[in-house]
Amino acid sequence: MISLRLKRPSWMVDSRRMRTTSDFQWLLLMFLLMYLMSQVNSQKKRTPRDLKCVTNNLQVWDCSWRAPSGAGRAAAYEACIENGSHSCYRLEKNFKIPALLPGDHEITINPSHDFGSFISKFTLNEKNVSLIPGTPEILNLSADFSTSTLHLKWNDKGSVFPRHSNVIWEIKVLRKENMEIVKSVTHNTTLNGRDTVHHWSWTSDMPLECATHYVGIRCYIDDPLFSGRKEWSDWSPLKNISWFPDSQTKVFPQDKVVLVGSDITVCCVTQEKVLSAQIGRTNCPLIHLDGKNVAIKIRNISASESSGTNVVFSVEDNMFGTVIFAGYPPDIPQKLNCETYDLKEIICTWNPGRPTSLVGPRNTSYTLFESFSGKYVRFKRVEVSTNESYQLFFQMLPNQEIYNFTLNAHNPLGQSESTLLVNITEKVHPHIPTSIKVKDINSTAVTLSWHLPGNFAKIKLLCQIEVSKTNLARERTVTVKGVENSNYLAVVDKLNPYTLYTFRIRCCTEPFWKWSKWSNEKQYLTTEAIPSKGPDTWREWSSDGKNLIIYWKPLPVNEANGKILSYNVSCSSDEETQSLSEIPDPQHKAEIQLDKNDYIISVVAKNSVGSSPPSKIASMEIPNADLKVEQAVGMGNGILLTWNYNPNMTCDYVIKWCNSSRSEPCLMDWKKVPSNSTETVIESDQFRPGVRYNFFLYGCRNQGYQLLRSIIGYIEELAPTVAPNFTVEDTSADSILVKWEDIPVEELRGFLRGYLFYFEKGERDTFKMEGLESGRSDVKVKNITDISQKTLRIADLQGKTSYHLVLRAYTDGGMGPEKSMFVVTKENSVGLIIAILIPVAVAVIVGVVTSILCYRKREWIKETFYPDIPNPENCKALQFQKSVCEGNSALKTLEMNPCTPNNVEVLETRSAVPKIEDTEIISPVAERLEESSDAEPENHVVVSYCPPVIEEEIGNPGVDEAGGASQVVYIDVQSMYQPQAKPEEEPESDPVVGAGYKPQMHLPITSTVEDLAADDDLDKIAAYRPQANVNTWNLVSPDSPRSTDSNSEIVSFGSPCSINSRQFLIPPKDEDSPKSSGGGWSFTNFFQNKPND
Amino acid sequence: MKVLAAGVVPLLLVLHWKHGAGSPLSITPVNATCATRHPCHSNLMNQIKNQLAQLNSSANALFILYYTAQGEPFPNNLDKLCGPNVTNFPPFHANGTEKARLVELYRIIAYLGASLGNITRDQRSLNPGAVNLHSKLNATADSMRGLLSNVLCRLCNKYHVAHVDVAYGPDTSGKDVFQKKKLGCQLLGKYKQVISVLARAF
Repeated sequence: MISLRLKRPSWMVDSRRMRTTSDFQWLLLMFLLMYLMSQVNSQKKRTPRDLKCVTNNLQVWDCSWRAPSGAGRAAAYEACIENGSHSCYRLEKNFKIPALLPGDHEITINPSHDFGSFISKFTLNEKNVSLIPGTPEILNLSADFSTSTLHLKWNDKGSVFPRHSNVIWEIKVLRKENMEIVKSVTHNTTLNGRDTVHHWSWTSDMPLECATHYVGIRCYIDDPLFSGRKEWSDWSPLKNISWFPDSQTKVFPQDKVVLVGSDITVCCVTQEKVLSAQIGRTNCPLIHLDGKNVAIKIRNISASESSGTNVVFSVEDNMFGTVIFAGYPPDIPQKLNCETYDLKEIICTWNPGRPTSLVGPRNTSYTLFESFSGKYVRFKRVEVSTNESYQLFFQMLPNQEIYNFTLNAHNPLGQSESTLLVNITEKVHPHIPTSIKVKDINSTAVTLSWHLPGNFAKIKLLCQIEVSKTNLARERTVTVKGVENSNYLAVVDKLNPYTLYTFRIRCCTEPFWKWSKWSNEKQYLTTEAIPSKGPDTWREWSSDGKNLIIYWKPLPVNEANGKILSYNVSCSSDEETQSLSEIPDPQHKAEIQLDKNDYIISVVAKNSVGSSPPSKIASMEIPNADLKVEQAVGMGNGILLTWNYNPNMTCDYVIKWCNSSRSEPCLMDWKKVPSNSTETVIESDQFRPGVRYNFFLYGCRNQGYQLLRSIIGYIEELAPTVAPNFTVEDTSADSILVKWEDIPVEELRGFLRGYLFYFEKGERDTFKMEGLESGRSDVKVKNITDISQKTLRIADLQGKTSYHLVLRAYTDGGMGPEKSMFVVTKENSVGLIIAILIPVAVAVIVGVVTSILCYRKREWIKETFYPDIPNPENCKALQFQKSVCEGNSALKTLEMNPCTPNNVEVLETRSAVPKIEDTEIISPVAERLEESSDAEPENHVVVSYCPPVIEEEIGNPGVDEAGGASQVVYIDVQSMYQPQAKPEEEPESDPVVGAGYKPQMHLPITSTVEDLAADDDLDKIAAYRPQANVNTWNLVSPDSPRSTDSNSEIVSFGSPCSINSRQFLIPPKDEDSPKSSGGGWSFTNFFQNKPND
Repeated sequence: MKVLAAGVVPLLLVLHWKHGAGSPLSITPVNATCATRHPCHSNLMNQIKNQLAQLNSSANALFILYYTAQGEPFPNNLDKLCGPNVTNFPPFHANGTEKARLVELYRIIAYLGASLGNITRDQRSLNPGAVNLHSKLNATADSMRGLLSNVLCRLCNKYHVAHVDVAYGPDTSGKDVFQKKKLGCQLLGKYKQVISVLARAF
């Protein structure tokens, strides 16, 4: 080593120069070094070396070393330990020595025969010794497949250890063939110097049937006094648990009960290929195990239905499964209560609390444990219904009053409990009393007996007896001492005779805990007693005053004290006592023939036990002179009557009443009130609203009654049901006198307060009976509050006018119905006369004045309206043959005077002269007449004429064939236009019947007088021919009805006009003019004929 | 008399309700004496027909009620869970003689009645709240008892057959809950199937 240290710098400085030389040297040195090392090693090999000591029980150290090389197998050594007492051991390769004390110990090992070896010395200390426990051995490994639990059992071999030490055991669990570690856990124990068998259990999350499980164990001894190195022991040989399936496919776990929310693994052990798995309807992923086994992991499982949660594995053509029951452990029993009904048996009830979701065999079972006696009872129902009450019966123990109950609830998922300490004598809830019996003592007291199951000999009972009769119940509380035979008695007194009572009983104990339920009702009728009072009596004299009718009321039940069988009526005077025969019960009146003496009437009621005290009443009344009838109105259900206090009235007052419409003697009912009273309310079911009743108040003194007041009244007033009958007594032009009758009392239904009288104008047919009360302005109302008034005169009316009268009566109950009537006032005759005479007088005066005026101004009127028409007689040209004119009296109207013919030329119209066609007028009427002389008259058209402008015709000689001859042209006045000529029709026109101008001169020329007469028919259809035939003249206007009369064959052309005047003789038709109306009078005629007159 | 009459059929059933596989189904020899405790109904075959018709009409409802009460996935996997795969179920030949048909009917009803008893017991524990199911199971079992009595009456009176060996299905009391459910469902499925055949055959 030193040479190495010297050589290294020169090699570093001159490395390049000396590379070949130094490499050689380096190899040489290495070779040398190796030689030296081999020499050293060969020396070591010839000596024992590597001494190592271990212990597994702290008592013996097991030492070993490495033997020298070349030493024979049978080489022997001697080891000597220097530990105070020199001890040597002859041994071979290793040796065991007792554990040495702490501190260094020298160990010399030398071969005992091999002289070639060297002696080795070692220093041995406890710190160099290792504590390695022996390999544990599993005594037993078992499995509980139902709970998937492995049970491991092993021995700690503690007896070999000199002192107590802590031991740590490590246990590992492996699963499946590939040895997956699923659990590794340490388990601490203590070595106590003895061999102890230890147990360890582990519950697998996977059913043990699903796969093979292996378990191994090792240990570590933690001895605090040992200073050497401590090591784990070796693992024990693995032990396994496996389930050997049969040929059938099975699913595990089966019928497992798990806590809601937990995780669970379910596996299917099968030889078939599993396709899928599902819990309920939910598919789960498969976990493959050994072979074809599969498993699924269900996490956070929810509560099951009653039939459990189905987990199924599906193979090709089948399904295998199991049922998991997920639920809860039992809740702590709530409201635990223990009481007794009969001090024989304790009944404990409780509320199970939260449902466990487990039913059937997995349902919660309860155990009621009493700690003082150590007794218990169990509650277990496999088929428990949901509404079942939870209760347990515990038989009471003699001489034990205090009980300490513990109620334990248990199901596959856990248990809970509730406790109760109770003094049972304070928790008595008696049963329902039964067998109630009633036995009478007398008419007012009974004995009540009942049965109350139970042994209450040591305590007091408090019982309530409910005694009730019609609509009235009272409770009486009695205290009874408890007895063993359960039969109890109580006396109930202060009852009423002959009264039906209903009894029922309930009981409790002292101190009070709970009342029992009420027992069934028991009815009992107490026995009869003598009637306590005589009947309430009254008397009335018959209408003829000879008989006295005695009335009495049936006794009320509380006074009759039994069933009233009959009544005894007797009357007594100073001289004698007269008794009637017994009157059976339903009859409540008797009639006695009495004179006018004063008698005392006695009435006695009898039942099966005896007679009542007599009720007495005097037959005669004390007269009262000043009596007046008053009125009173009730309050709907009754009527209040008041009176002044009268100290003279020593006995009671009596108010009797009856329906006022009934005949005497009238008695509906009566009421007695004490003598110190001053008012009373009369009520009766018989009272009806709207019915009048008579009330009579009697005062009583010395048994004699005196009528004090007479009152008529109504319980409630209503409106009358009928209207008063009324008639009209008198009618004038401006007034009506009405009279009405009284309304009968039955129909009045209240006190009459007045009448309302309405009147207004109106006709019978048009009037509507509405709104009389709505304040219509046209309706006049008279309120008649004086009910004695029976007539009414309505004044200030209009004459000859229809009036509608309505009358109705009213009470405080309302208005009655209406009765109405229509009356027409008389006509005012003076006014009528004046109304007729004045217009007549005015008309006459106007007529006279008009006549005078017209007469005085007739000339002016004539000039203005009807100037003179030139006299054709002055015209010579128009002088007709005298014989003709004179011979025809029909031509008087236009009688022609002889005149010198002037420049008038009469044209022959027979010859067709086309040249004058424009001056000819062919009337359409004429045309039709030509065509059909028998044409319908209604087709005639009235044509007036107006002279054309003669000057123009005269000034046109070329056209006028006669040259300068005047011409009359007919013009259709209606149209006021000259009609258009129709030349094409003209040649065909018949000259005889042709229309148009028919000159007067032509008539005598063309026909004789006889012909004229013969030609009347022709004339009838001719046009204007005034002068020729006056018969044909009709002074009618063209549009008069007559002119258009369909039956008239006379064709009129209206009023003629002068041939020289352009004025119309009769003005054109004015439809509005009265003159044009049909009639036989017209101004035209009037003035025109005037000169001739 | 009523007590006797009411006790005969249950007694027969109880005697038959022993667990065991069906042995050869022998019937009473013809010359054996046959006596019933009470006279048989005059129109017995009609009564049997009516009872079969009544059972047939209610079988499907009972089946539905049953598999519904077992929870999922029973209603949706009827073919795999409720298929009519019943072991040792007695055969029936509709074309046989009346006597043979009655004997086979007897065996079938006895089998079904016993199985129905197992189902009723299991469901009382498993579904205590399924009142409808219980009442229908009970009603069906009652009808079967009546039918069994009538069939035996007929066999005895007309064919002098006093005893018929019968076979029963597996006892479910030791089986896990799922097996109980499944076997019950399969039995009721089989019952629904076979009762219609029987109703048509008579």
